Amino acid sequence: MALPNQQVVDYPSFKLVIVGDGGTGKTTFVKRHLTGEFEKKYEPTIGVEVHPLDFSTNCGKIRFYCWDTAGQEKFGGLRDGYYIHGQCAIIMFDVTSRLTYKNVPTWHRDLCRVCENIPIVLCGNKVDVKNRQVKAKQVTFHRKKNLQYYEISAKSNYNFEKPFLYLARKLAGDQNLHFVEAVALKPPEVQIDMAMQQQHEAELAAAAAQPLPDDDDDLIE
Amino acid sequence: MADKEPVVERPEAGEEEEDASAAAAAGEEEDTGAQVAPIVRLEEVAVTTGEEDEDVLLDMKAKLYRFDKDGNQWKERGTGAVKLLKHKQTGKVRLVMRQAKTLKICANHLVASTTKMQEHAGSDKSCVWHAADFADGELKEEMFAIRFGSVENCKKFKELVEEIAESLTKNEGKEGEDGGSTAGLLAKLTVSEGKSEGSGKSESTDSGKVTETKADTAPAE
Repeated sequence: MALPNQQVVDYPSFKLVIVGDGGTGKTTFVKRHLTGEFEKKYEPTIGVEVHPLDFSTNCGKIRFYCWDTAGQEKFGGLRDGYYIHGQCAIIMFDVTSRLTYKNVPTWHRDLCRVCENIPIVLCGNKVDVKNRQVKAKQVTFHRKKNLQYYEISAKSNYNFEKPFLYLARKLAGDQNLHFVEAVALKPPEVQIDMAMQQQHEAELAAAAAQPLPDDDDDLIE
Repeated sequence: MADKEPVVERPEAGEEEEDASAAAAAGEEEDTGAQVAPIVRLEEVAVTTGEEDEDVLLDMKAKLYRFDKDGNQWKERGTGAVKLLKHKQTGKVRLVMRQAKTLKICANHLVASTTKMQEHAGSDKSCVWHAADFADGELKEEMFAIRFGSVENCKKFKELVEEIAESLTKNEGKEGEDGGSTAGLLAKLTVSEGKSEGSGKSESTDSGKVTETKADTAPAE
């Protein structure tokens, strides 16, 4: 698929469409993979934002072009026009909000009108939250419509790689495909002069006074 | 809103147990997705991590942050294994960290003579430093913070990095390179290596995980 300003890569790439109600965590999930950060602040996505996500597998590198779409109707832009030529999809709902699960059938219907017979993963996000409203046993839509289902948490990273691994396996037709260590290229030597070093140390001292986010030791075994 | 008490973990663990028993019966994770025709054919390739010519001086679980200057705040970069790796020929030491599960690089830089570890103000399990990072395949000036599961592990990491940086300083301070003193410094690092390996149960556990990782890699080769 050729898009304006889209970098062409010499390894397989796929268009992945991400849909679901506003506030379910679609953008936060993508950002988690892109930069590692957890975005707390909610900013509705307008139209669509496309981000390339690369993974290293035992069968070489692959790329997902993640089409992170607007969940709120008023920011929908071209709406299902963004689904055209989608090769795989994620439908996101929030386990702390029944309404977002109730709307899953609508997202699925709209998606399937445009993309026929593509692998789809249903994700129940925010399973780190204590007071969940949609229990795992209550999630049954995936069985009726032949979707895969994963409970995930973009915050705790629980199962956060599973949707991509599942889709990669389906697209390649290889159940044994797995993620491998990305190549750590040899970093070049860097020369730093004394003045620059002193500036770095001053900046570092100031930064050291800023708190680390979400100080939760439980995340490290 | 976000509450990660063990209460949440237990139901999930239970569910995982159910999944695990189902997996034990079926031999793999249940796939409720539709049968879709693969759209790419991928061949297995030899996996290279970029670490083949290096010895592991340290391998620990940690959580990494980078300082966002624009927002004047720390942001998460990844959670996973941080390693200090010494090149077998050049003796250079670098830090490589990978995100758990996806195994993407979140830090990759040499330990330089100018590398200074500072304590983070808010936590004695954390320290901060400046580096010219090559994680994305291009050099970027970054300030990193890292948090460990224990004070002991943080101290171990910090002291080893400082020791390496100090040995580089001594080496640079000499007029021309003296083979004898260089050999001495390398021997010193070897002693450090012994220290790292010898101390701490958690370290043994980590070493076990390295073995597991390599074991995973072996069949691919």
